[in-house]
Amino acid sequence: MEHKDIDHLFRHHSGKMVSVLTRIFGLSHLDIIEDAVQDTFIKASILWRKQQPEYPEAWLTKAAKNRVLDIFRTLKTQKTHIANLSTGTDAIAINELFLDKEIEDAQLRMIFTACHPKLDARDRISFALKTVSGFSTKEIASALLTKEETIKKRLVRARKSIQKAGLQFSIPQGKALKERLDSVMEVLYIIFNEGFHSNKKNQLIREDLCGEAMRLCQMLLKNKTTRTSSSYALFALMCFHSARLPAKINLNNEVIDLKQQDRSLWHLPLIQLGNTMMNKAVETEDFSSYHYEAAIAAEHLKAKTYADTNWNKILNWYEKLYTMQPMPSHLLTIAVICIQTKDYKKAESYFNKLEPKALEQRKYLFYAAKADYYKAIHNLELAIEHIHQAIEYVTNDLEKDYLLKKKSAWLNQLN
Amino acid sequence: MKNFMMIFVGKEYVDLNLSPEDMQGRMEKWFAWGSKMEKAGILRGGEALTPQIRRIVGENRTVTDLTSAEVKEIVGGYYTVEAKDIDAVEQIAQDFPDYDLGGTVEIREIMVFDK
Repeated sequence: MEHKDIDHLFRHHSGKMVSVLTRIFGLSHLDIIEDAVQDTFIKASILWRKQQPEYPEAWLTKAAKNRVLDIFRTLKTQKTHIANLSTGTDAIAINELFLDKEIEDAQLRMIFTACHPKLDARDRISFALKTVSGFSTKEIASALLTKEETIKKRLVRARKSIQKAGLQFSIPQGKALKERLDSVMEVLYIIFNEGFHSNKKNQLIREDLCGEAMRLCQMLLKNKTTRTSSSYALFALMCFHSARLPAKINLNNEVIDLKQQDRSLWHLPLIQLGNTMMNKAVETEDFSSYHYEAAIAAEHLKAKTYADTNWNKILNWYEKLYTMQPMPSHLLTIAVICIQTKDYKKAESYFNKLEPKALEQRKYLFYAAKADYYKAIHNLELAIEHIHQAIEYVTNDLEKDYLLKKKSAWLNQLN
Repeated sequence: MKNFMMIFVGKEYVDLNLSPEDMQGRMEKWFAWGSKMEKAGILRGGEALTPQIRRIVGENRTVTDLTSAEVKEIVGGYYTVEAKDIDAVEQIAQDFPDYDLGGTVEIREIMVFDK
C-alpha cells in the first residue's frame, strides 16, 4: 500500500470516531470512549504490521463500531446511566451514525463543544486538538510550546467544565450559533497562527497545526449553517499564509522574513484556492477582521518582488482592520508601513499613539521600529538609542542577533 | 544457512500512551521492515503476542494472571529469519522500529538436531 494514501489516517480517524461515539454515548463518557478508540488503534498498529487491509479506513470504522457494544457493556457494569442510547439516537440506527455525512456532523458538534463559552479560552484549543484532531497531550504540548503537564491540566479542566455545565453535544442554533461560530473561528485562527508564526525548529509540527486548522475550517465550509462570509474569509487567509510556508524556512531551519523570501517557492494552487474563497467571502458586505487580514495577505502575494509591494493599499486595509479591532500591534504595523511609504509625519503620529507597554513582551518591536524610523529620517543617534532599548527587551536569540548586527553597522556609520 | 529467532522484548504499546499518529508511524515501519525481509526471501515466520499473561510457577504449579502493565518487560512477538550467521541477523535487526521506546531485540539461533 502507498503510504501517501493514509497520511495521518490514524490521527484523523481518531477524531472522527471519538466524535461519533460521543454522539452515541454522550459527553459524560468521554474517558471510556477515548480509551476504546485508542484500543482500536493499538490493535490496528499490531495487526497491520503483517498485512494492511485493502480499505484501512473502513477497517477502522468497523473496529470502532464493534467497540460500541464493548462500551455499552462497560457502562452497564459500571451501572452508569446511559443518557443518549434510550432517547434521541435510539431512533437512528447506530449504523447510520457511521456514514460519512453523520461523521462530519458529529465532528462539527465536537468542535462546537470544544469552543463553548463555559470552557476557558486556553482550554478550548487543547481540548479541540485532543478530541477533534486526535493529537496526544505530548503532541499538543510540543505544538503549543507548553509543558505536557500544563496541557494535561487544561484537558482535565475542560472536561470538568463540560460535565459541570452539562453541555449538550450539539451545534447551537439561531443567535447562539453566530456567537459560537465566532469562538470556533477564533480557535481555528489561533491554532493556525501557532503553526504559522511559531519559531519552533520542528517544521513538521508546525505544518501539522496549519493543516489541521485548515481541515477543520473546511469542515465549517461544508456545512450550510456554518458556511458564512467570515468562515470563507478565514479559510482564504489560511490559504494565502500557507502558500508562503515553503519559502518561510531556509535549509538551516531559520525563519526568513518576507523581504528575503524566494517568491518562486510560493505555492500557486493555494493562492488560487485562496482567491476563490475570497471571492465567496465578499459576496456580502458583512466584513470581519479575517476579511481584512486576508486582503492584506493577498496584497503581499500580488507583489512580484518586495519592492513592488503596494504599501498604500496594505495601509488602507490595516487602517480598516484597526477600526474594527483596535489592537496596539496593528498601530505598530501601521507605523512601520508609513516608514515604508516614506510618510514619516504619519509614522510619527502613529508612534505617538502607542504606549510600548501595551505590547507586553513584544515591546522590543516598538523600539526596533522606532529605531528604523529615526534611521530613515537621518537621526542616527536616536536610532542607536532606540535599537539599544530593543536589544534590552528582546528574548528570542535569532532576533537579538539580527538587532545586534544592525546596531553595530549603525555605530560604524556614526564614526 | 541457519535459522534465527528475533525476539522482541519491552513495553507494550497499550502501556505507553502513544498518539494515533505515532502508532501509525510505527505500524508503517514494521510493515516496511517485514516487506523488506520478505522481499529478500529470508522471512520464515513471526507472530505478535497479546498482552495477557498466565504464568505457572514452581512445583505447586502456582498460577497467576498478569497484564503487561504489571510486568517490567514483556515478550511482544518474534520473527524467524534465515541468515548466514548471527552477525547477519544483527544487521537485519537494525530496522526494528521500537528501540526509541526502550525496546530490545534478542537474537537466538534455532538449534538443529542431527538426525
